[in-house]
Amino acid sequence: MSSRDAILARLRDNRPDPTAHPLPPVAKLGDMDAGKARFENSLQIIGGQVLERQENDTLATAIARTFPDSKVICSAVPDFEGTIRIEDLDSPQQAASVDVLVVRSPFGIAEMGSIYLSEAQLNSLNSAAHLTQHIVVILSPKNLTANMHTAYIDRPEFHTANYGVLMSGPSATADIQGVLVRGAQGVRTLSVWWED
Amino acid sequence: MKVKPVNHALAAEKFIEDVAHESFHDERLWDLRQKRDEQMHILPEWQELRTRASQIKEHTLANLPEYLEQFEANAKKNGIHVHWAADGAEHNRIVGEILEKHGAKSLIKSKSMVTEECQMREYLEPRGVTVTETDLGERIQQLDNQMPSHIVVPAVHKLIPDVAKIFAEHYHTDPNDNSAQSLAWQQRLAARPVILSADAGMTGGNFVVAETGSFVVCTNEGNADLSATVPGLHIATIGIERLVPRMADMGVFIRLLSRSALGSPITQYTTHFRGPQKGSEMHVVLVDNGRSHRLGMQDFWTSLKCIRCGACMNTCPVYRRSGGLSYGAVYSGPIGAIIDPTFNERKYSTLPFASTMNGSCTNVCPVKINIHEQLYKWRRVLAEHHELPFVKREIMHMAGKLMGQPKLYRAAINGTEVALSTMPRFVLYNWLNPWGKHRELPHPVKTTFNSWYKKNRLNIQKEREKA
Ligand code: SF4
Repeated sequence: MSSRDAILARLRDNRPDPTAHPLPPVAKLGDMDAGKARFENSLQIIGGQVLERQENDTLATAIARTFPDSKVICSAVPDFEGTIRIEDLDSPQQAASVDVLVVRSPFGIAEMGSIYLSEAQLNSLNSAAHLTQHIVVILSPKNLTANMHTAYIDRPEFHTANYGVLMSGPSATADIQGVLVRGAQGVRTLSVWWED
Repeated sequence: MKVKPVNHALAAEKFIEDVAHESFHDERLWDLRQKRDEQMHILPEWQELRTRASQIKEHTLANLPEYLEQFEANAKKNGIHVHWAADGAEHNRIVGEILEKHGAKSLIKSKSMVTEECQMREYLEPRGVTVTETDLGERIQQLDNQMPSHIVVPAVHKLIPDVAKIFAEHYHTDPNDNSAQSLAWQQRLAARPVILSADAGMTGGNFVVAETGSFVVCTNEGNADLSATVPGLHIATIGIERLVPRMADMGVFIRLLSRSALGSPITQYTTHFRGPQKGSEMHVVLVDNGRSHRLGMQDFWTSLKCIRCGACMNTCPVYRRSGGLSYGAVYSGPIGAIIDPTFNERKYSTLPFASTMNGSCTNVCPVKINIHEQLYKWRRVLAEHHELPFVKREIMHMAGKLMGQPKLYRAAINGTEVALSTMPRFVLYNWLNPWGKHRELPHPVKTTFNSWYKKNRLNIQKEREKA
């Protein structure tokens, strides 16, 4: 008998009575506020930031001011230039040389301050979302969902994307004596640019 | 040759001797416990989330064969290769074969307890495969040749100078570096080239969704994402108990996991893998390694609900003071003390005794595992199987007798005042009782509840009845 069949047979023999353990129906619990203020507050808790917008700012000028030392600015959106387009990156090794990646997120979660990205936004170069030093995420307040329940129940992406990451701020660790360090392995900062 | 039981008490004693490490360990984990409490208080629906998480997990375990088949069918449809491993050896062989087929010589991996269980690194390295941990804590442990001491924060027992010394030895950095920031930066610099040139990547899986054939990985460093997306080959090693039925169930678990673990609302990266990325290959290895057997253990099967948040470890007074390595096992702390004996009853026979039975572990567990009750049950099982050293066996024997006879029990409890104040101290604090060494017994109570009740309430009742 294959290991597969042996494991399944053993599970069938050993399991507790299935009728004694019904599956509870799906539920949307908790705070249903899907507002911008709640998202911003959560984003700040997890170490992300809203990209500062001064008068007459464009995304380009805001990026130049926030990341003055950046040389390679990669765009994954049609309406922003950058110094290179994501389509022109052929490999993760090339993505590793990017200073700032600009990408649009289809939705954010107000409860957590998380934004979602999949291969659809990353031109299938999924590693770019983590290899770049800084990431700037364009998000519309219209595309906020209240919490994790509403996200998983309402958003179709969880059923369709092959790779889908909820990014909640920058890469972080507290593995050395409990000291919180941002920018452990992946992006060092995550900024949200509000699109109206 | 018979395996010797882990001498947890002796190892703990050594850990306690080092005051700086012991007190940091204790405080750091207690801090995590308090952060978890803050999160719990923010959410009015916290207890409902726990109840649901527990129900969903129990349902899934009771229907595990069907959900595994459903996952397998959907994953295959998505283009994932699914493998089944009955034990660690088979898991390692499968991984070895996949790597060989691709001519892969370097593997980067994110933290996975299952690969620790299987001792995969020990299998692959003699076969010419370099295995590099990408999680910072796990990497520190790898360089120091130690097991992870905690399932969430593997190097929590180390202080900055310990890490500086290890990095100096392996990365040739400043041995006197006393900044966590700069040490973490050194790791980033050292890891990037290894990640970028790796032939294959490996992750675990926190949750497996039957409905969609996907699996979910939660990390704070993004190292699982790097391991999975940079090389063209992604292997995920997952315990068969990790299933949930529907994607819509994930909300319950993601809302509980990081809040219970670290007191943060969510891990920085919650990643859903549903199929290979473009130009890449994806394999899932479903590992049994004793789990299907554990499902048949009436008293212990619910330990399979565990989502590995580590909350029970953070709150456990014994774990906090003894350090994870003292358990001498892949899984430490309260949950380890329940599941380790299922791997080897004799070797881990001492672990269920490393508990004060205060029930704190049970109170914090997000999936409502009755941890302290299972610890007690293990003590009985082990006593029956004669796996106990003489003293513990005698204590159990006496306790069993006492608890079985209410009258005798009450007499004994009433007698504690006399006993504690008249018994010479050496009866309680001696080498037979290692836990007594570091703690004083509470002051004996003047009256027990039972005698108080008899005297006061029963009299009142009698008065009332008279009236
Ligand atoms: S037993 Fe409960 S508290 Fe302990 S790690 Fe598992 S889920 Fe967390």
